Amino acid sequence: MEAIVEEHIDPNDLKKFEALYNTQVIRGHVSEKTQFDYAWCLVRSRYTSDIHRGIALIEDLLRHAKDDLSQRDYLFYIAVGFVRIKEYEKALKYTDAICKIEHNNRQARQLERYIKARMKKDGLIGIAIVGGAALALGGIVGATIAALKKKSNQ
Amino acid sequence: MAAGPYNYSYIFKYIIIGDMGVGKSCLLHQFTEKKFMADCPHTIGVEFGTRIIEVASQKIKLQIWDTAGQERFRAVTRSYYRGAAGALMVYDITRRSTYNHLSSWLTDARNLTNPNTVIFLIGNKCDLDAQRDVTYEEAKQFAEENGLMFLECSAKTGENVEDAFLDTAKKIYQNIQDGSLDLNAAESGVQHKPATPRSPINTDQPQNKEGCAC
Repeated sequence: MEAIVEEHIDPNDLKKFEALYNTQVIRGHVSEKTQFDYAWCLVRSRYTSDIHRGIALIEDLLRHAKDDLSQRDYLFYIAVGFVRIKEYEKALKYTDAICKIEHNNRQARQLERYIKARMKKDGLIGIAIVGGAALALGGIVGATIAALKKKSNQ
Repeated sequence: MAAGPYNYSYIFKYIIIGDMGVGKSCLLHQFTEKKFMADCPHTIGVEFGTRIIEVASQKIKLQIWDTAGQERFRAVTRSYYRGAAGALMVYDITRRSTYNHLSSWLTDARNLTNPNTVIFLIGNKCDLDAQRDVTYEEAKQFAEENGLMFLECSAKTGENVEDAFLDTAKKIYQNIQDGSLDLNAAESGVQHKPATPRSPINTDQPQNKEGCAC
């Protein structure tokens, strides 16, 4: 699942689908497919702002989705978007929603496991950072005390 | 494996393409897990699988991108063709329409991959011979006319599934050996990984930044 979630879009592809989308916006009607193509590219961008925009475009498609199959596809890529911007709790809501449509959808289950593993990993890293900061702070406090002691001894 | 940093010498990129419901994901699952996945939902976008195989005593890691057959994903899954060393093009022997669409899949594969990409045609669901809608001979002829390798397989029973993936790899490996596939080309779909440890004095390494005066 990592290969899917962490994959980056080729900037040329993003440009191509963006141009198509913009042309349709100017014409006054964007087809569902063009909006999805562009949004799928945005979700795989390196930039957080693109990912947010991609999620918003797919959420819009989801509101108008005609059948379960499209709903499920949209839910999946919204979840992928949220994982990429590390909003894991939100991502899990979307994988849950897929499983309500297609109980035991393998890809949704895999994504869910991946999200939980990432949460665990990021949680541990968080603790490590706090731990490191505590050590550093301890060092500073220690050094200050030592300096004060030195001063009082003078 | 203690022999080196990688336990394989090459990476080959594959893609699996074909109409919705022909069994692309089931073929991949049968190949990577040696199991049949009954009741498999339609793939969302793309799926990814890997397996290490051996060809001519060389360990090769296959990185397989399994694309959704749904029309919705067609435009974007095209970007996965790029840099594929092997393309498995699948139809369902019990549904003639999936066979009729092969020329369109083949056009995409030819236009979006490099000339050395090995294209392997798979007629899936050969366990359902009673419901057959496309004869072996007809598909064989289509494959020959278009220079494709061909096998009928069953993701359900596992028949010929290994062979399809392995024969593709053998052909790619052969292309490397005879020099027709340039490993340095940007989109060859093949990466060579040194299987032996690098020598400690390595001139390929970028200069050590610590030695920089800045």
